[in-house]
Amino acid sequence: MNKPGIGKIIYTEEEIQQKIAELAQVINRDYKGEKLIVIAVLKGSFYFVADLTRHLTMPLNIDFISIGSTPEELNMTGVIRFTRNVGLNLSGQHVLLVEDVIGTGLTLGFICQHLETFGPASLKICTLLDNPAGRILTLPIDYSCFTMPDLFLVGYGLDYNEEYRNLRYIAEYRE
Amino acid sequence: MLITISRQTGSQGKEITDLLAQKLDLPIITRDWVMSKWLPEIANQHELHMLTQSPGFFLSTSSQGITFAEFLENKLQELAEQQSVIIFGLGAQIIFAGYSGALHVKIMASQEIRINRIMQTHCLEKKDAERFLDLTDRKHRRYISTIYGKDWSDPSLYHITLNTDNMSIDEAASVLCYMAQNRQNLPLSQIDSLEKPVEKSVVFKHPSEEEFASILDMHNIEWEYEPRTFPIEWDTEGNITQAFAPDFYLPRFDTYIELTTMDQRYVSQKKKKVQKLKKLYPGTNINIVFKKDFYSLAKRFGLWEGNDKK
Repeated sequence: MNKPGIGKIIYTEEEIQQKIAELAQVINRDYKGEKLIVIAVLKGSFYFVADLTRHLTMPLNIDFISIGSTPEELNMTGVIRFTRNVGLNLSGQHVLLVEDVIGTGLTLGFICQHLETFGPASLKICTLLDNPAGRILTLPIDYSCFTMPDLFLVGYGLDYNEEYRNLRYIAEYRE
Repeated sequence: MLITISRQTGSQGKEITDLLAQKLDLPIITRDWVMSKWLPEIANQHELHMLTQSPGFFLSTSSQGITFAEFLENKLQELAEQQSVIIFGLGAQIIFAGYSGALHVKIMASQEIRINRIMQTHCLEKKDAERFLDLTDRKHRRYISTIYGKDWSDPSLYHITLNTDNMSIDEAASVLCYMAQNRQNLPLSQIDSLEKPVEKSVVFKHPSEEEFASILDMHNIEWEYEPRTFPIEWDTEGNITQAFAPDFYLPRFDTYIELTTMDQRYVSQKKKKVQKLKKLYPGTNINIVFKKDFYSLAKRFGLWEGNDKK
């Protein structure tokens, strides 16, 4: 591995790609005959959404959103804010929101509330890693690749201080 | 005096605002004015074009290192401190939400009336007028939700909402004129007391609960503090011997939350109570926030220094 801080590989590149292909089959079946808008939450989900969408067969549009949640990034009303907002018209459209990790669900809840104001026909949630043990909000997660182990993970979009996103696998990070 | 006016297209909001400004002899700050007078100070031609096209672009960082939205907020606040003014749109009802003495007005009308008005003023067929309204309503909603994460139609953002279905422009402007003058004549303490009922007057039992409420507020998630007590044990005569009141309820997500940031000796007791509650009230969503997760959240949002005070 030869990378400082990188511990055991938790999900290999093959395991990730296999799981994504399986998940895409389910999504293809669920949205058969429909058009889909895929919205990925930056930055962690960008490899996941790139690989996932290339397995999808329905007509689709892709967009990205990003939120700022550090104290410096809060807006004047003290609410976390979108540093990049969705640009596509979601009204009456089927929307699939793609996340890298779902933990407490607070960020996801904030994003879902926002997307619902655009009046989509449906809004489903897809995540690479799900951590239901840490959940605060009760939210239905429609598609999930892996359950998050109780470890700090990096790779395949996940970072530690913005590093390691470009690893092809997901590994444990040890300080 | 500061008046903010938010209006639906076709509600005659602009006409009412113009007349109100005339009656009170106040300037009106509009989006067009801001685009031509203020934003060119920090935006180039391309950026100005993008600002007219996309609300999201207001969140982009300008050459001055602040976003266009922040620049606009700063300018509006400077102006409001210097002089009396009417601000038309621009999310001013949110920017000045806590501003003592401000009057926040929403002007609306029914869909049918608005369509008829748009058909007349813009010489449009009914279906085109409907589409026109749909697009402009969406634009209004989007600007506020994008920049401030708020729902434009939320009545709690306004002191008064005027429905102009059966109200003339003069009548509406006169009502607002009276309100604005009356409000200006109120002593500050009285205005503050008028504002207070809007705020949540919650007495938390522990500082961590207050911090958690702040985290929910940051995520724009509606919450209620200990709204319900669940009986979980009864004696043989049916008297309640143990009850459990979860700390928070989140109506939008139908979820109760129990914090366990206090003495960890109580954690297992709380877990047992939660298990009992789930068994006795099937279908009730309740989640526990553990100490480690709470501190990690609080630190992330700069709310807690990490020192356990209890």
